[in-house]
Amino acid sequence: MMRHKGYTIGFLILLIVSMFFIEGCWGKREVEELAPLIGVGFDVGEKPGTMIITEQYALSKKGASGPEVEAWTISHEVSTAREVSEMTSKIIGRNAFMGSLKVIVISEEVAKVGFKDTFDFAQRYSEFRRSLYLILCKGKAQDILNLKLRTRQIPSLYIKSNIENGVATSTFPKVRLGHYLTVLGNKSTAPILPLIESIKPGDAKIEYTVEGEKSAQEMWIQGAGVLRGDKLIDLLTDDETKGYMWLENDITNRFVYTVGIDDSDINFGGQVLKSSTKYKIANNNGTLELQYLIKVSVAIDEVSGQKEKLSDNEWIELMNGAEQKFASVIEKECMQSLKKERELGLDFLGIGRHIEQLNPNYWKSVKDDWEAKLKSFPVSIKIQVTIHHSGMAASSPTTK
Amino acid sequence: MQGGRERVTVVKISTHQFMILGAAVLMGTTFLPISAIVTSSAGRDGWMSVLPGFAFGIPYGLMLISLMEKYPRKNLLQISETILGKWIGKSIGVGYILITGYFGGLLLGQCGDIFERSIMPLTPVWTFYLGGLLLVLYLVWAGIEVFARFSEMVMPLIAISIILIVWLSLGRVEQGELMPILENGIKPVLFGIVKVMPFSMEYILFAAAILPFLPTGKQEIKQLKSGVWRAVFLIGILNTLIALIQILVFGPTETIRLVYGLLVLGKMVEISRTVSGVESIFMMIWLGALIIKICAFFFTALFGLETVFGLKRKKWMALVGILFLATAFGFVSGHSLIMEIGLVDNYVILPFTSLWIPILWGVSRWKKGASA
Repeated sequence: MMRHKGYTIGFLILLIVSMFFIEGCWGKREVEELAPLIGVGFDVGEKPGTMIITEQYALSKKGASGPEVEAWTISHEVSTAREVSEMTSKIIGRNAFMGSLKVIVISEEVAKVGFKDTFDFAQRYSEFRRSLYLILCKGKAQDILNLKLRTRQIPSLYIKSNIENGVATSTFPKVRLGHYLTVLGNKSTAPILPLIESIKPGDAKIEYTVEGEKSAQEMWIQGAGVLRGDKLIDLLTDDETKGYMWLENDITNRFVYTVGIDDSDINFGGQVLKSSTKYKIANNNGTLELQYLIKVSVAIDEVSGQKEKLSDNEWIELMNGAEQKFASVIEKECMQSLKKERELGLDFLGIGRHIEQLNPNYWKSVKDDWEAKLKSFPVSIKIQVTIHHSGMAASSPTTK
Repeated sequence: MQGGRERVTVVKISTHQFMILGAAVLMGTTFLPISAIVTSSAGRDGWMSVLPGFAFGIPYGLMLISLMEKYPRKNLLQISETILGKWIGKSIGVGYILITGYFGGLLLGQCGDIFERSIMPLTPVWTFYLGGLLLVLYLVWAGIEVFARFSEMVMPLIAISIILIVWLSLGRVEQGELMPILENGIKPVLFGIVKVMPFSMEYILFAAAILPFLPTGKQEIKQLKSGVWRAVFLIGILNTLIALIQILVFGPTETIRLVYGLLVLGKMVEISRTVSGVESIFMMIWLGALIIKICAFFFTALFGLETVFGLKRKKWMALVGILFLATAFGFVSGHSLIMEIGLVDNYVILPFTSLWIPILWGVSRWKKGASA
């Protein structure tokens, strides 16, 4: 009985003492004392060896009825990322919380110099998550993060949601910090990052009404940058990036249109419902070749240039023709991407990794000289498009 | 000593408790470094080394039970004295105390290192040492049965948390990271197995100390033997899953580079793009695993002191606790600590245990044959 009592008292003392070891007693940081970091931008500094780091925080809006936030953005010219934490803390009087960081915007200029050291902090300090997004920008990252969008969205959150909703169009890659670091580990593959740029009225034939001061108030993600390690080598065009997306098997949904693919007056617009890309190594007359097979399901939801009423059989024939046209569009995008890969001598399509996976012995014989071999390594692309349906109507309304 | 021995013969743990306790001690902190260890040896094939490495402990566990059958109510140090003679037995005992005492202290240090690196960087490291040690002292004071029950409670949570983290990380898997399989042949996988073997030897060191607490009935002996198999396979499979998911998500190069890859994986978990930051919950559960491992080595050091020098366990607890703390405080740099744990594992625990038990078992068989 006495022993049992002793254990109980001992246990109670232990519980009381344990309270002092709970985190709240030591590293306590109230939520309102924290400044959640949501976006960071890197630009080249004016002084040699420095960089301009722009930080964007989401602070709760004063007087708001609900959980509304407003952006608090600040830039510092510094030599290390930790310097920014000190300077920001002095100004805002709060502790920066890095765990909420969603996106790192790297300016083209910084990327050309190399940014490994610039963002070492983000992959080392425990608060950061590898799920945050990396993106390149045309012009200054500082300008992108300070953009006053017409939608009133905070730029960092806009970029994040744009990247995440990008699966609806699948026209650019979604690159998280973790993915970038994994690709860096595969020495043969060149990393790729999506590209964001601001759009002024008139840019890329886009018009909109500017509110207040005459500056860009919209931005979009289009194209990508190819890197060697952490250095930007070249930018991919929109079509080259789309080709990369097909070959990388990264298409969830896509809008495709056949305008300009041949001389025909009849054109189609549609949406990709499903896509899968497989690859294999085949021996083609004694030469090893990487063969891609892309299978795509499309729903047609736009037909233009078709004037006459067609019978059912004629309509099926037209759809068969549409399959060929869509296949040509996809092939054109893929070939442009492949052409760029060969021109650069940088394997952003991961062809080397595919060979390594499928034929490791052959890979061992070519890996040391891969960048040179890449330029002439045979690659073939076969595309099979299936039209699932043509929307709510068969023939177009007749105008004749 | 007499009083202690009297209690030893009274307190028994069930065969199920032996299985779970063994699994919990075998698991210990292995799930944190396992991926980096096997991947640094065998690259993307590292996951294949995990299960065979743990299975290395099975024949050792069976040898222990076989010795226990012949020498009931004795721990392995007492059996060593009986079989190999007093002075050889005592020398082995001194080695055993030094190894388990030092290694337990290193694990206490690792407890602080893990928390300081990952989620509580500003909390003074001594709070982890002292907080962890208090829990260990309570479990040791309460005895082996309470320790076994604590393991029965914590081990399922550890297993569930690991399965959950693997499942929630499936969305982060990178294409084709596991291919090609056996690119460099079987040799690197065999090297990986050797790197895992010390973990099963740590388990054997603990099992050697708790033999007097195990039931000795014929049916129960059978269950104990299957308990060894089941514990090894359970932990081997869980650790294989951990190695697999890290290689699949990070790729081999990053898996090697990350100090505690599983914690990084925990930070990447997002549920429906809304719930994140669940790593703190995982950390809380894994603290239980750390405590079990430290406690196991605390027990072994105390059993060693009691057997070799006749020092009563409860009276010498404080001294062992101070030694654990001193060892933990001796390593300010986390990197040196991790290196030291690896060195003790590979160059002390593995050779010591892998030689001691077969020799003891062989001599026992030989003596039996000679006397017959």
